[in-house]
Amino acid sequence: MATKDLMGLIYTGENDARLRELTLTRAVAALPVVGRYRIIDFLMSNLTNAGARNVGVITQRNYHSLMDHLGSGKEWDLHGKHDGLFILPPFLTRDNVGVYGGMLDALRSNIGYLRRSRQEYVLLTDSHVVYNIDYLEMLRQHVDSGADITLLYHDAKPRLQQGVHEYRVYFDTNADGLITALEIDPVQPSFPNESLSAMIIRRELLVSIVAQTAAQGHHSFVRDVLQRSVNDQTLRVMGYRSPVRGWHIDSVQSYYRFNMDTLQADVRQELFDPRRPVYTKVRDDIAARYGDSATVSNSLVADGGRIEGTVENSIIFRGVYVAAGAIVRNSIVMQDAQVHEDAEIDNCILDKQAVIKRGGRLIGPATYPIVISKNVTI
Amino acid sequence: MRKKRCIAMLLAGGQGSRLGILTRSMAKPAVPYGGKYRIIDFPLSNCANSGIDVVGVLTQYQPLELNAYIGSGAPWDLDLSNGGVFVLPPYMRGKGGEWYRGTANAIYQNIGFIQQFDPDYVLILSGDHIYRMDYNAMLRFHIENEADATIAELEVPWEETHRFGILNTDETGRIVEFDEKPKHARSNKASMGVYIFTWDKLHEYLVADEADKDSSNDFGKNIMPKMLADGQRLFAYPFSGYWKDVGTIDSLLEANLDLLQTPMPIDLYDKRWRIYSRNPGLPPHYIAPGAWVQNALVTEGCEVFGQVRHSVLFAGVTVEQGVSVENSVVMPRVHIGRGTSVTRAIIAEDAVIGPGCQIGAAEGGIAVVGQGSRLAAGTVVQPGEQYENS
Repeated sequence: MATKDLMGLIYTGENDARLRELTLTRAVAALPVVGRYRIIDFLMSNLTNAGARNVGVITQRNYHSLMDHLGSGKEWDLHGKHDGLFILPPFLTRDNVGVYGGMLDALRSNIGYLRRSRQEYVLLTDSHVVYNIDYLEMLRQHVDSGADITLLYHDAKPRLQQGVHEYRVYFDTNADGLITALEIDPVQPSFPNESLSAMIIRRELLVSIVAQTAAQGHHSFVRDVLQRSVNDQTLRVMGYRSPVRGWHIDSVQSYYRFNMDTLQADVRQELFDPRRPVYTKVRDDIAARYGDSATVSNSLVADGGRIEGTVENSIIFRGVYVAAGAIVRNSIVMQDAQVHEDAEIDNCILDKQAVIKRGGRLIGPATYPIVISKNVTI
Repeated sequence: MRKKRCIAMLLAGGQGSRLGILTRSMAKPAVPYGGKYRIIDFPLSNCANSGIDVVGVLTQYQPLELNAYIGSGAPWDLDLSNGGVFVLPPYMRGKGGEWYRGTANAIYQNIGFIQQFDPDYVLILSGDHIYRMDYNAMLRFHIENEADATIAELEVPWEETHRFGILNTDETGRIVEFDEKPKHARSNKASMGVYIFTWDKLHEYLVADEADKDSSNDFGKNIMPKMLADGQRLFAYPFSGYWKDVGTIDSLLEANLDLLQTPMPIDLYDKRWRIYSRNPGLPPHYIAPGAWVQNALVTEGCEVFGQVRHSVLFAGVTVEQGVSVENSVVMPRVHIGRGTSVTRAIIAEDAVIGPGCQIGAAEGGIAVVGQGSRLAAGTVVQPGEQYENS
């Protein structure tokens, strides 16, 4: 399998209401995670590590920070003369109102890009998922099995909160791996296999599906293409079981849980497998500096920070300041945020540049972390 | 090539023999510093921040590591279509070719490279020093004085003047005398090895110097004294700020530990003057339950289970349980096994140590472990010893 046969297409327009303030000013794909990354870094790096040299990123709303982060695609070696990184924002044409109704709609608007691309296969995915995987293994299975579409999945995890919508997809497979039933956003999932929102499909097949379904006025790829094809058995839709763990980031709770999971050594080993490095935009910070009174335990700390207080079970991003006497527990502290002298936070998410002033105290419940928005001073 | 007003030539051929086994397989400018950098990041970043976008890097000794590190120059924004960073090793010519014989000869051999850019001025740098400097301000000074050559100077402690080239100036800053490593200095203003020349003038002197069979083809020993004797306009540009020659094991350890002082004597937080480096692309570092990290610099990819005090850890270092690292510098990807103690030591890249080793001690000389060395359980490296087995 020549690696140049795979291209990537990432749809970043998914529903983000349950991420609350975190996605007020940014797309889910641009959410900061694990101290120095954005969610999309993992998908971009998966694609780059699989040799993909042509990656399209379909943007919808709030995509300024995403574009700023991706730049020319240089960090992922996607700045070649042929192919490279293509940012595909919504645009107005006579038959295009400018806002995508769903992934299928977005694909229809960008069908020209898909037609012009030269790769045989497309890895098509939503942007709210994190994992470090070898897509070439998945492509190999796709080709060997003769599937029309291969869908990445893992075992469903217990729900973090009952009674709320999680726009997730579950399915059943037969012994050959063929998907026999598929449900979208069930109250209680009937099947153990949860989709990780990535699929491989032949580019020409994708183009013809998009052209055909668009003519019928459909918007949703999952509902109108995947589910229909499974029900009517018009396409062979197979599952590819992920050999590594994956995470959906679609609520404050799942965002918080994923970050905290990275404090486990085995999770980090999988997520930062040295055979498949995770690339991101570089900030050229100095190393993190620990003061005489620093007490740090079970935490990830990124560069550029100054740590003089107590930090436990937390994720500390680049350029964070934790003053002497300050206590940070079970929290996520994003880039350039500050926790001043004798302030204390527990179960909090401080967005970028948030400041907790001297003596401030914010203790959130473990099941519902407090989010402090970007640039807010308390 | 389009014309450039000023280009830089960076002398990176230094062997750094006083750094012992640390420079056995790499040139001195490639030696790691400060947790994230190599020494050459400082002059390269200074160039990038000063708007000097052509940098010729003259390599000679063990260039492999340096070449790979510089690559396309992208980390310093020097991957340009009109300019950028150029690695310039000595090369063969019709008549035979030769090694660079001295600093002036190295530039002489690259006159063709320089002339491609038709520069008005040439900045000569060395890849041996840690400092932040605006070369553009120095260039303005050079132009305002209508100088033929300008030498950056800084005040050194009087007791150290015998180690430096000392500049004696008149009240206008014009250099009247050049004292190479004097026994009794009349000034404590030392040359930093940073020169700006008006190119036409330098070209003339390089050609004359090359023709002189008795010359050792060195800027400090030959070019500058000759220009001074001929009455050329030589000026001293005063620099104040942190500047460190990391030429010895002692000064390398000291320069690293300087970064742990409060306030930091060299401001590496300044967002308008970032020091760039090639990023290893590792996740944030992890500090385990039970670990102690105090008064230390720790960077990406480290995993710390033991104690780290008053030390600098480079990328990807693992410090296992029961380890104590104190007053030390641990370079990239070193693994320190359980129960090992590291005190006043420099551990070079990729060394694998322990368990139960003892490296250095609180008293005595600095212990050094060479690149890629493997130390079996219970190995003892004495203070002042340089240990390598790779």
